[in-house]
Amino acid sequence: MLTRRLFVACAALLAVSSWAGRPLLSPAFAQNADPGAGAFIQKLGNDAIATFSDKSTPRDQALVKFRTLLNQGFDVPYIGRWVLGRYWNQATEAQQAEYQKLFEQLIVTTYAERFIEYSGETFRIAGTAPEGETDTMVTTQIVRPNGPPINVSWRVRKKGADYKIIDMVVENVSMGVTQRQEFASVVQQNGGKVDGLIQALRQKVGRAG
Amino acid sequence: MKLASLSRSFLRSATVAVLALTATACANRPADSDAAYEVNDPLEVPNRFVFAANEAVDVLALRPAAEVYVGLVPDPVRDAIHNFIDNLMSPLYIANNLLQGNFEGAQFATGRFLTNTVLGAGGLADVATAAGIPERPEDFGQTLAVWGVGDGPYLVLPLLGPSNLRDAAGYGVDTVADPVRIWAYAHDGQGLMMARAGVSAVDRRSEVLKSVDDLRRNSLDFYATVRSLHQQQRRADIANKPGGGPEFPDFGTAPKP
Repeated sequence: MLTRRLFVACAALLAVSSWAGRPLLSPAFAQNADPGAGAFIQKLGNDAIATFSDKSTPRDQALVKFRTLLNQGFDVPYIGRWVLGRYWNQATEAQQAEYQKLFEQLIVTTYAERFIEYSGETFRIAGTAPEGETDTMVTTQIVRPNGPPINVSWRVRKKGADYKIIDMVVENVSMGVTQRQEFASVVQQNGGKVDGLIQALRQKVGRAG
Repeated sequence: MKLASLSRSFLRSATVAVLALTATACANRPADSDAAYEVNDPLEVPNRFVFAANEAVDVLALRPAAEVYVGLVPDPVRDAIHNFIDNLMSPLYIANNLLQGNFEGAQFATGRFLTNTVLGAGGLADVATAAGIPERPEDFGQTLAVWGVGDGPYLVLPLLGPSNLRDAAGYGVDTVADPVRIWAYAHDGQGLMMARAGVSAVDRRSEVLKSVDDLRRNSLDFYATVRSLHQQQRRADIANKPGGGPEFPDFGTAPKP
């Protein structure tokens, strides 16, 4: 009986201390982070919401706008090259050029629909922190009308006077790494040939235009 | 009895804390080479076969069931079911936190369990998340990882999905140690266990209906995408923080158009 009471007391102590210790957990953000990167994400997000909450825009026009925003916010050629990894150097110049074109189209077909179908999501910047030697990680929380919020971090690199996103991390999953591993798998399935990947990309984007 | 086992686990976790510190110190691997993105998947051929079978089960049974579930059962009821199932897993989360030497994690898990059980009507309402103590599952696979056990080969388990050798072993331990299972078997409640497994599967599937559809539609190689997602998520779960980001070298002048 005594031991049971002690057990309950221990459990209660653990429980209470979890409440008391909670504020200590809040991470110390914003040391040496580039404030311009946060402002850049804020503006890009606002632009996207302003663009896609207007439902009267015809579909093909919305698609054009998506493309503009995409290339404004993301360094698509950089991401494309990074995602191809070591196979980049194995590809001929012609293959590289075609791959880059297809990669941009793949991003558009993958993400355009999600943005065009915009249904009232909002976001807030939860923090910015330096990442690597040159980059800034901007953490945002996407609040959805139904379902729990999603944590998305944006890896931002300054290029001259411009900021560009070079990776996006959704709930701890890097889109860049995922795509890189997927592409590597496709190349390997095709006997290590980049042409196999290009063929697969052609099929994928060909269907949706 | 309980006190004895409690103090034993405290002792054990102290040892584990030391072990864990050494393990993490050694685990800093360079992320610059392509090797960092290779997946340990020597069983890819059988894995792809099981993956295809799981896909068939999903398309034919699980996904339709999840759709019906979402269509018929109202949101608050689904939330309550989800919370109730999760709350009953709390003892495992607490135990694994302690085994990992993570006292803070154990405090949070215990706080969640007591808060939700007492204030959340036996676990039906997730009061703790609203109070700022979010759900953070810890399983024995993660505990083994903290103890320094490597992933082992990637495995796709029938019905259970993506895993690896270490996590599959961990899953076995969690299943055996699960207090709900122990209670159910002592009270002739095997049917209850089956029901929980079924509802839990449908519940989890119903939360990712749209995301999985998107992924399936947009992937060139869905198997590789799932493998990558699983591995990255698992690494973050084990470290309890976002994984160390990969390296993004400067390619110099912009590559050709």
